[in-house]
Amino acid sequence: MSGAVLVSNLISGVLLGGDLALTALGLSLVLGVMRVVNLAHGEFLIGGAYLGMFMLQLFGIDPLVGLLLIGLILAVLAYPIQKFLLSPLIEKGVEAPMMTAFGLSVILQNVYTILFSGDTRSIERSYATEPLVIGSVTVAQIYVIGFAISVVIIVLVHLLVSRTGFGRDLRAAATDPTAAGIMGVDVKRVYALTFALGAACAGVGGTLIGLAFSFTPTSGSGYLLTNFAIMVLGGLGNIFGTLIGGMLLGFLQSLGGVTLGDGYRELVGLVIFLGVLAVKPQGLLSRGRI
Amino acid sequence: MNHTHQGTSVFARSAALASSIFGILAVAGAALTAPATAASAADEVVIGAPLPLNGPLAGFGSFDQWGYQHAVDEVNKAGGVTIDGKKRMVKLIIRDDKTDPNVSASNVETLISRDHVTALLGSCTPMLVNAGALVAERHKVPMVTGCDPLGAFTSVRKWNWVWDIFFDERELASLAFKTMKDLGIKTDNKMAIMADNGPDGLIVGGKVWPMLAKENGYEVVANGSFPVDNTQFTSIVAQAKNAGADVVMSDFVTPPAVALRKQMKEGGYSPKLMVIEKGAEPVQFAEALGPLAEGILVGGYWDPSFPYPGAADLEKQFEKDTGKSGSQHIADSYAAAKVLLDAIEAAGSTDPAKINAAIAKTDKTYVVGPVKFSPEHTSKLELVEDQWQNGKSVVVWPANRATGKFEFPIPN
Amino acid sequence: MNTWRPTILWMAAALVVIVLVPLSTGEYGIEIGFRLLLYIVLGEAWNLMAGYGGLVSLGTASSVGIGAYVLVGMLNHISPSLPLALTASAVAAAILAAIVSPAVFRLRGLYFTVGTLALGEALRLFMINFNYFGGATGLFLRDDPPSPTGLYIYAAVVFALATIVISIYTRSRLSIALRAVRDDEAAAAQIGVRAFRVKLAAFTVASALMAVAGALQGLHLGTIEPYGTFGLQWSIDAVTIVVVGGMGQRAGAIVGAIVVVALAELLADYPELHVAINGLILIIVIRFAPAGLTGLAKRWWQYRKAAATPFAPAAGNAS
Repeated sequence: MSGAVLVSNLISGVLLGGDLALTALGLSLVLGVMRVVNLAHGEFLIGGAYLGMFMLQLFGIDPLVGLLLIGLILAVLAYPIQKFLLSPLIEKGVEAPMMTAFGLSVILQNVYTILFSGDTRSIERSYATEPLVIGSVTVAQIYVIGFAISVVIIVLVHLLVSRTGFGRDLRAAATDPTAAGIMGVDVKRVYALTFALGAACAGVGGTLIGLAFSFTPTSGSGYLLTNFAIMVLGGLGNIFGTLIGGMLLGFLQSLGGVTLGDGYRELVGLVIFLGVLAVKPQGLLSRGRI
Repeated sequence: MNHTHQGTSVFARSAALASSIFGILAVAGAALTAPATAASAADEVVIGAPLPLNGPLAGFGSFDQWGYQHAVDEVNKAGGVTIDGKKRMVKLIIRDDKTDPNVSASNVETLISRDHVTALLGSCTPMLVNAGALVAERHKVPMVTGCDPLGAFTSVRKWNWVWDIFFDERELASLAFKTMKDLGIKTDNKMAIMADNGPDGLIVGGKVWPMLAKENGYEVVANGSFPVDNTQFTSIVAQAKNAGADVVMSDFVTPPAVALRKQMKEGGYSPKLMVIEKGAEPVQFAEALGPLAEGILVGGYWDPSFPYPGAADLEKQFEKDTGKSGSQHIADSYAAAKVLLDAIEAAGSTDPAKINAAIAKTDKTYVVGPVKFSPEHTSKLELVEDQWQNGKSVVVWPANRATGKFEFPIPN
Repeated sequence: MNTWRPTILWMAAALVVIVLVPLSTGEYGIEIGFRLLLYIVLGEAWNLMAGYGGLVSLGTASSVGIGAYVLVGMLNHISPSLPLALTASAVAAAILAAIVSPAVFRLRGLYFTVGTLALGEALRLFMINFNYFGGATGLFLRDDPPSPTGLYIYAAVVFALATIVISIYTRSRLSIALRAVRDDEAAAAQIGVRAFRVKLAAFTVASALMAVAGALQGLHLGTIEPYGTFGLQWSIDAVTIVVVGGMGQRAGAIVGAIVVVALAELLADYPELHVAINGLILIIVIRFAPAGLTGLAKRWWQYRKAAATPFAPAAGNAS
């Protein structure tokens, strides 16, 4: 294998990992702030991909143009889910909200299958399938676009959490919900907004995935695990850590893909994930500011 | 989180629990046995099928469901099947196996033990068909299935009660080589092979293609094997591109097939000829890819243009019923159900052994072509090479089946 | 009422009913009964870890899968003896649990849950990619499995063994230690509880039981492959059974398994929406019966008794 192929591969991996970090951030926020394992996160992601596809097919809106709208729609849809389904369960341990989210995920998969059939879909844009050639290095243009969007949104989320009143409430609720409540923070509102923000991240990331790859009503669960791995690598609730975790995972998966074959990508990711969990459960990067 | 330890009083209370368990058991028992009496009371011949209507293979399941149901509806419209000299209606019970072989097996058990089905139709893909077929075999209930490549089917065991109408995966593997040779395609004789590591993918990509490549003078510059649900191909695409392979041979289900085609374009790799077995067959492949589907080759076992009774009508009826384009899966499922219903009619009985014997004697041309079972319980379908041209599937080989001209190379 | 005897009698009677009723209802009852027993064993094992030990695992699939693969390997290549193969399945899963325990026990709470999920998926991907154990094609049992009745009797024996093991366990001092660790690991350590050993005991016992359930399922199917055997569905089913039945409740797994099996069985007749309905029922039960159906029944019982006593404490808050 030539050097150019290796370099192209590793750069692709890093870009794609950064792209996936956006969806992982959604998962990480919900887990870090609310302590909810959102097993429906993958279905939110696929929901974003379907939205992007139908916006293009029905209204001719380019998914990249409609990206913020997609995020907004998912946030609006997720808000009541948190408010009416998860919120009453949060004090009752890990299992109740986790299994409610699981119930939601099977309902969403079933509903997607009925509404959109089990067919394989993809968002068809010419810019999403063009290569970007710099010297002897070739990477997919959509990876670069996705990476850029992901970085911008991650920075925005960071500013939201570190510079705004909502961010202060969020950090307080994450650290100690009881104390935050006493201090006058509306913890339930913070939770609902965090959940909506998490869903928005998943939806936007899902649209980017729909542009670069293919999806079906059930392909969300595969991304869920990758997201967990990124989250753990980056440190739970560490916003920039998630981005770095994503890039690192992408790099290592590509290295695994190049040396062992593409088939081992996912396995390499999971083994790294388990290894990090075993050695440093709090993540390779130290816990963030949330 | 506080935990109250109630000591021995817990045990005192479990008396109450036990009585509630009895209650639940009684209710559950009553609920579970109720449909059994309803199903067996009617004067109908009941046949059952597990199908993947949810989960990753839901795309196949919907076609099979239509094929099975359409065959049963046709027979019922004509008055049903003759059992002991009396016409009886046929009832088809379909249970969703959610693309889980465990559920597929338990669905077949329920169909046999609760609904007392006379015979069974199969699910789809080796993983699901085999799980259900083993249950049918053990309970000695005849089952006719499609959607299980013959090599994968016969490798399970020596079958006595299960019959498979499908193609042979080894033949599918040699199809593209025959096409290239026959049409005199000129390439740089460099080939990249990629396949999933499912039962058929391992045989095709791991053994048959490398062997045929050698025989036909191709140099294999890249060969990769992938989990069935993998959609990441950047490494192998870069490798194939770097080696300048003109020919890509691949074998994947639809989601990775679409992802692979996109990633080849994203990676700036444009081979002259590309085969994607399995996954490139359904129309959703072309719909998801648009212009990128142009020129892709895939082996097919059925096309509405085939000169068999009812072929063109079957496709038309499907489009009329569902408003969607058909798939070859409507044909093998429809044919499997027809073979079974004909056998029940020929047996003139609901006796499983008699029906099984009648299936064995099948020798008739159906919508998929002539069906006649080998001693291994298989009936082989002939294969043609299809190519996507302007969003339509066109048969390009062999000449006597062709509906269009072979397009070469793939437009860039 | 405050003696053990009525309890034991009731429990024994319940066991006899659970085992004998299906046998008397013909083939269908036996098939359903087999599934039920398998699910009860899975639920009991999961309940032991989570309900009593606070170890909320999403890795049931790894034990189930190992159990099934070891059983098929034993029967095909080593010995046709079923009890030996089932024992080997249990031992193999217990050994794996012991091997991974130093790593997974470092994980607290949610990390443990996510870690066990990753473990199950990693094993599935490994089995798919690694061709020595049949790869994605899987393995076939060379000889036909026992008859449905024979299988049922095996399941009943396993179920009885699991009930006995867990009954002894939950009444032993180990169980008190386990609960102490669940409630506050640091405090438990201070009073001399060796948290690691206590958790290890629960983890290995539960893994062994799950593996036997998996082995029985592999025997029952006659064909195993990674997608179904190491499928996430097993992990989810185990949690569902206990959450629906009641976490940390002695009867939780039994009630939960009955509901889960009955629902899956009845709803499969309505293929279009059954998955969604299943999800909906799960959400509703979790929302309105936070201590599971057993907890709900207990509350109802206490509510009736409350007429006699001035105040009845709310029971079933064993999360």
